[in-house]
Amino acid sequence: MIVVAGAVLAGILPLVTESNYFIGIGVSACIFTVAAVALNLVYGFTGLLSFAQLGFWGIGGYATSLTVMTFGGNFWMGLVWAAVINAAVALAVGYPTLRTNRHAFVIVTLAFALLVTLIARDWVDLTRGPLGIPGLPAPSLFGFAFRTTASFYYIAWAFAVLAIGFLYALCSSRIGRTLIAIKQNEPLVRAQGISPMPYKLAAFAIGAAVTGMAGGIYAFHLKIIDPLFLDFYYMQAFLIMVIIGGAGSFWGVVAAGIVMSALPEVLRFSNELRMIIYGVILLVAMLAMPDGVAGWMRERKLMRMRAALR
Amino acid sequence: MSADPIYLLQLTLNGVTLGLLYALIAVGLALIFGVLEIINFAHGELLMVGAYAMAFALPAFGLLYWPALVVAVLASAIAGWVLYELFLSKLKLGELERSILITLALSIIILHVVQLLFTASPRIVDTQFGFEGVEIGAIRITWTRVIGAGSAAVAFALLFLVLKFTQFGRAMRAIAQNREAALMVGIRPKTVARNAVVLATALCGLAGAALAPVHLVQPGMGQFLIFKAFALVIIGGLGNIPGAIAAAILLGLVESWVGGFFQIVWQEAAVFVLMMGVLFLRPDGLFKRGAMRVG
Repeated sequence: MIVVAGAVLAGILPLVTESNYFIGIGVSACIFTVAAVALNLVYGFTGLLSFAQLGFWGIGGYATSLTVMTFGGNFWMGLVWAAVINAAVALAVGYPTLRTNRHAFVIVTLAFALLVTLIARDWVDLTRGPLGIPGLPAPSLFGFAFRTTASFYYIAWAFAVLAIGFLYALCSSRIGRTLIAIKQNEPLVRAQGISPMPYKLAAFAIGAAVTGMAGGIYAFHLKIIDPLFLDFYYMQAFLIMVIIGGAGSFWGVVAAGIVMSALPEVLRFSNELRMIIYGVILLVAMLAMPDGVAGWMRERKLMRMRAALR
Repeated sequence: MSADPIYLLQLTLNGVTLGLLYALIAVGLALIFGVLEIINFAHGELLMVGAYAMAFALPAFGLLYWPALVVAVLASAIAGWVLYELFLSKLKLGELERSILITLALSIIILHVVQLLFTASPRIVDTQFGFEGVEIGAIRITWTRVIGAGSAAVAFALLFLVLKFTQFGRAMRAIAQNREAALMVGIRPKTVARNAVVLATALCGLAGAALAPVHLVQPGMGQFLIFKAFALVIIGGLGNIPGAIAAAILLGLVESWVGGFFQIVWQEAAVFVLMMGVLFLRPDGLFKRGAMRVG
């Protein structure tokens, strides 16, 4: 109920404010929240700490931009390509990596993200290197061009509602419960006759596809794509959203995504100081409440119930 | 380009010197992983701290190399000790994700604090040796590279002796190989863990100090090196010290050869291609032999 009201309220944001600045923050909030929820599927539910999300975000951005600028497709085709390419890459990277242990998985996904950055910077023939691809055109649908920030907001909003709805349906289904079971006790899952590998691979690939589409939309919001699109800042932002919201808590991460997208805009510091503050938030969160705000609240509820029983 | 033997030899020597420095970083990671079961994401930033300490100590000592090197190693070791006491000692075994995110946060904080204090612009570090070098026939290597590689080799020999023959090192191996048994014979895990972190960060500081005159010193220098070091410990087998050294020298050679004949992109991509190849064929790394061993 709250969720539906929130989604509708978010939908009328452009009617409330005229300011492109606030609507721009709204676009970022929608997209970042989706990316954070996709990371939550992979890390929070399945228990795979993946830094590859940054790589998928970048591949999505580049795939969508290149479809439009180099291969003559349109924005919507670009998003489809972003999802398809990412899912394929995720399967190719995921299969050998998921066979190894959790430590190796973390390191390989990190190395993958870095490799994508290197390719974006050094494969000049395709990506135009550090100069990037400026002037991405506004997407259009049935002759209507989403030129203004306010109209673009509806793309981001619709995407966020669809993607979050899809991921919620997935996470609360039998598949979602199997993923949680894999995170909590993999040998038990095997003992129940369920092979964890296809589930892990599927979660990794779906997370990659959704992150890629989010990246594609964000690139067209910025109207330029260059290797800075793969700045570690984005990965850090997604991670903080998941951790503050509480890994494995679906609506906690959605709420944290919205709050944490708006917060850096409110706290307008220099780039270095902002990164330091993010680092300190991450450090304090990990030391003080490793299960995030949602986990902390769950803990307090349990404490109260115990106190009531006494 | 034809394979001129002298050119090839020059590339090989460059590769070995580079590989020895990579090995210093990878060995520290392997040591920390072996004893604490933590992947230290802040390792690259400790290296950067060592390089900055070198950059500031050299002018203070009138460009004398050795005293500055000692200062840099001490600076990194102290930084590592502080990080251990404040943060890493709070971690329990098996909290893999938490350890990764804490060290990642530390790495981001150190990186950006240094960037805020000293700006992101790269520094060139001059030593008493300048750009002079040794010449053997047509092959030429600068003294700073020779000394860097030499100190790395000496450090490995010392590390081997320490781990093999002293109580200090034996305790580390014992913890890495069988924690319960080590506890039963009265080894304190916290003390050993602290020793391992200080030792690993000292090695890392040595790498930073040795790299400072060869590379440009800048806040981001640790990041790219650490990604390579991560790949190396994966290739060598997590927690395996000789494996990490072998993988590092191999990578130094491959990078140097690839860089000599192909575009620079391939040099950077070599380490990832190598890692993915190894993971496909042997998911536990090339030299997997169980917990930390030295001989």
